Amino acid sequence: MPPIAQYVFNGIVTGGILALPAVAFSLLWRLLRFPNFAVSTYLTVGAYAALVLNAGAHAPLELAWLGALAATGAVALAVDRIAFRPMRDRRPFSLAIASIGVAFVLENVVRFVWGNDFRAYDVPVSRAASVAGLRVGREQLLILGAAVVLMALSQAFLRRTRLGVAMRATADNPLLAAVKGVPTDRVIAVATFGGGALAGGAGVFVGLDASIDPLMGGGLIISVFAAAILGGIGSAPGALAGALIVGIVEEAGTLVVPPTYKTAIGFVIILAVLLVRPTGLAGSRS
Amino acid sequence: MIAYLTAIVTLVGVRALLTLGLNVQWGMTGLVNLGAVAFFAVGAYTSALLAVGGVSLVLAWPAGVALAAAAGASLALVALRLREDYLAIVTLGFAEVLRLFLLNEAWLTRGANGVTAIPRPLHAWFGGHYPAFYLLLVLAAVGLVYAALERLRRSPFGRVLRAIREDEVVAAVAGKPVFRFKVQAFALGAGVAGLAGILFAHYLAYVEPNMFLPQESLYVWLALILGGSGNNRGALLGSLVLLGLLEGSRFAKDVIPFLSGVRLAAAQQMLVGVVLVTMMIRRPDGLLPERPGSE
Repeated sequence: MPPIAQYVFNGIVTGGILALPAVAFSLLWRLLRFPNFAVSTYLTVGAYAALVLNAGAHAPLELAWLGALAATGAVALAVDRIAFRPMRDRRPFSLAIASIGVAFVLENVVRFVWGNDFRAYDVPVSRAASVAGLRVGREQLLILGAAVVLMALSQAFLRRTRLGVAMRATADNPLLAAVKGVPTDRVIAVATFGGGALAGGAGVFVGLDASIDPLMGGGLIISVFAAAILGGIGSAPGALAGALIVGIVEEAGTLVVPPTYKTAIGFVIILAVLLVRPTGLAGSRS
Repeated sequence: MIAYLTAIVTLVGVRALLTLGLNVQWGMTGLVNLGAVAFFAVGAYTSALLAVGGVSLVLAWPAGVALAAAAGASLALVALRLREDYLAIVTLGFAEVLRLFLLNEAWLTRGANGVTAIPRPLHAWFGGHYPAFYLLLVLAAVGLVYAALERLRRSPFGRVLRAIREDEVVAAVAGKPVFRFKVQAFALGAGVAGLAGILFAHYLAYVEPNMFLPQESLYVWLALILGGSGNNRGALLGSLVLLGLLEGSRFAKDVIPFLSGVRLAAAQQMLVGVVLVTMMIRRPDGLLPERPGSE
């Protein structure tokens, strides 16, 4: 049996992947004031977009990954225009229900085109290296590196650019931000595109780490929610920390409960956080 | 054709019960529940396992309703204090964890193999007429539940639920124990969903965990929103229209023969999603909106 350090390492990789949709989900929730159930399906969209470019058009996976970022961002933007914008002023739960409908449509568009089969990217098979007694796959390192870069970029965007600051202002107080001249529509469009791109990029990682099928994103929905809620809704660093914790606990948890109960671990985390400290780690009031 | 219609209307009846149950929670009281399928499954499995174990249906059926209602009450006690967007996530997660439980705890639930040879009530008596008998049984159940819920809706209890839905602070100021009413409404809706599950299990004589996928909860929502939440007639109409959507698109196979089974199922579910989103945007009150002051 592998040592516990192996589970922790695998958990960090899983957490690195989860962090991307968790940040997207968390910031979009704070900004648009509803939990967008379609975010985890954007992972599936990204994974298949990269599949088309990589296995279909024979682009190297690195290039296909960039394509997936753009394509998923565009899909998220289109979804927002068609489904969510007409409902902006409705109660959060109506939008949440609509987002479940959206997720359902996207998942089934994928199923309609590619079927239910498991697929994989066209990448050379690499052997896992052994580092200090740990099995470390080349893909795992790539995933971790890319996830760190994406997280750093989004954090820099939120802290250092005018639009990023405007986005945080709108999330905190939309009315005040609008009065101060923040272009709300543009902020929402950029956040939606960026959130979709983050989730789509994560989808490629999941496809690389595990496999590609229509349910791959939807199956992670509880874990993504758990990461965002644990981190505190609206906090990007919180979502990152939450994702790492959820990833590690889910992987290490398989030492105690059967791996089929991974989703249940996420659910227990959600319940525990909501009952004990609903504001999450970041602890900001909403 | 008659056999087909009998089977379809029986299943509409089961869906109608599920929708009526959700209408108590969301339509009347404004309580979010994205895990309707969980209580459907609790009812189905409880009654099926008891019956297969030799317990009389006279006991197994009430036990199924009771356990579904108890599961609803327990979840409500833990989760109903949460904000509704959190509640959406918790109820969805609850249903998914329950499905994992059904799948993995084979010692109790028989796991992925499902429960087979579930006894069908009075099967020997009716012989060849059995499907017609069962249809009448389901329709009678729908009729009774509908009548009971209509009475409830017009009763003082129903008025309190509506008051809570519209503004729970006002209801609390008026001296109503809001939380207790909410738990009761949630448990009642869960019990009705449990009854639907029981009728479903003993109709098919077989249940397995993958009959209780999250999308089933979505179908219940679609039926409720299509019909118009808040009124029980809407719940019935919505179930019927949903069936038209699901079954009608099945006939698309005859018109477009090159569609494979997977593609047909995907197209059907795409349609469900599109209709749901369109209804939410264009007609959130449904085809039969609740009339104000209709009591």
